[in-house]
Amino acid sequence: MIRFVVFICGAVVMSFEILGSRVLAPNFGSSVFVWGSLISVFLTGLSAGYYLGGRLADKSPSSRKLSLIIIVPGLLLLTFPLYSGPLSDWIFMKDLGVRMSPLIASSALFLIPSVFLGIVSPYTAKLMICSLHTSGKTIGTLYALSTFGSIIGTLITSFYLITLAGVNALITGQGILLIILAIPLYFMNLSCSIDQTGPAA
Amino acid sequence: MLRIFSLLSLWLLLFPLQGFALEPSEKLLFEKNSLYQYIQVIEDTAKKERYVRNQKREFTQGGIYVNAPDKLLLEFTQMSFVSLAFLDRDPKAVLFVGLGAGAMPKYFARRYPDANIDIAEIDPDMLAVAQKYFYFKENEGMKVHVDDGRLFVKRTKKKYDWIILDAYQNDYIPFHLTTLEFLEEVRSKLKENGVVVANITSSFRNKFFDSMVMTYKKAFPHLAIFRGKTSGNFIFVATTGSIMKDKENVVVRARKIQSDRKFDVDLAEIASRHEDSLPYEWEGAKILTDDFAPVNLYQHQKSDAR
Repeated sequence: MIRFVVFICGAVVMSFEILGSRVLAPNFGSSVFVWGSLISVFLTGLSAGYYLGGRLADKSPSSRKLSLIIIVPGLLLLTFPLYSGPLSDWIFMKDLGVRMSPLIASSALFLIPSVFLGIVSPYTAKLMICSLHTSGKTIGTLYALSTFGSIIGTLITSFYLITLAGVNALITGQGILLIILAIPLYFMNLSCSIDQTGPAA
Repeated sequence: MLRIFSLLSLWLLLFPLQGFALEPSEKLLFEKNSLYQYIQVIEDTAKKERYVRNQKREFTQGGIYVNAPDKLLLEFTQMSFVSLAFLDRDPKAVLFVGLGAGAMPKYFARRYPDANIDIAEIDPDMLAVAQKYFYFKENEGMKVHVDDGRLFVKRTKKKYDWIILDAYQNDYIPFHLTTLEFLEEVRSKLKENGVVVANITSSFRNKFFDSMVMTYKKAFPHLAIFRGKTSGNFIFVATTGSIMKDKENVVVRARKIQSDRKFDVDLAEIASRHEDSLPYEWEGAKILTDDFAPVNLYQHQKSDAR
């Protein structure tokens, strides 16, 4: 289950990023500044998420908390069509320049979801590490799954999903997917024995 | 790290650097991987023609005759001028979205010296190429704005008599320049009875072409279509006023413009190939919007019409 969660979160990150370029283009064009903003905001979100996720993971991690972490981007993506249009229009009207406009818009739209999706990686790693002897293997597997998910998310989105439905519907769908994923996690009560035997605070 | 690698490969997919095999008669004058595209300037020494293109011959963005740089070489540039016959006056304010080699604005400016011309071109290297290899020059009446076409249209306070949409990347139009929302923005920058002309390539009847017809038809009350004879180009002429709906009228006007403005292109002949959009309209085609516009994928899918 945890492996599946990591895979899906990896897929959602990149799918969301691909769709993000579509969200930005009507108001901010498809200049190199838009691509630069988009990619750097996602990477900023992920790196902040990795950092925070590592900290959080050391404080009695549980699948219930993981569920709550995933619910946040789930809800943000579910409701994305409600705020993305007005927010983009508003930033367009402010006209902060060819660089700042797309950078601010990307931050407003994509930063928070990508922080939370970034938290998932270290957090699940901690949940999965039940034996220090195989921690390398566990972390390696999770990295691979996350990135493999990203590859699949990128390909499916750009090759197929874009012809099947509108950008807003796809993002909403991703939100629903994350929420569906989060619900069973909440009741699973997965945690790892290493947490009880871990170093005393 | 792996994620960064996957992002990097995505970046490379978007901006590939790859040369292209030349014909023996072709000489490479210039090549550059610009911010937006691979630009290649080629001279065909046998035909005495010079082109600017992306990776492939099909991705030719513009061209001139080396010995007659003021003539129009490419069919779609010649055909686009037929749209002037749909205008009930001489155009005073003109907007080109997409510069290419600059052949069209240069040709137009020479015949309409009083017109005020704005050109939106996203790629500064394309402008440099047009100036260096295609004798394109800005002047008081003709100004290039290095900006995304959509943003220029959205932000401009001006209104235009004639708007020419010809922005391409390789063989496709960037999706945000194909949507209903964009066409409505374009329409809002037209003066009364203004005319929009668009160059749409469709080497075979694909879903993209069907969708473009329906999207233009949705945004504009009148749409005429001209099919290229020697190229896979279609010229869409969209108008808000119905004054020039009468085909005979268009041909007469085309003939008058041709002689008054000394066109060396047979505008009257092109005008006589006037087709109503109706036979091209297919209700099953999806209208492209900012939310739904799979431009690239639709270009490779055969039309479902009939």
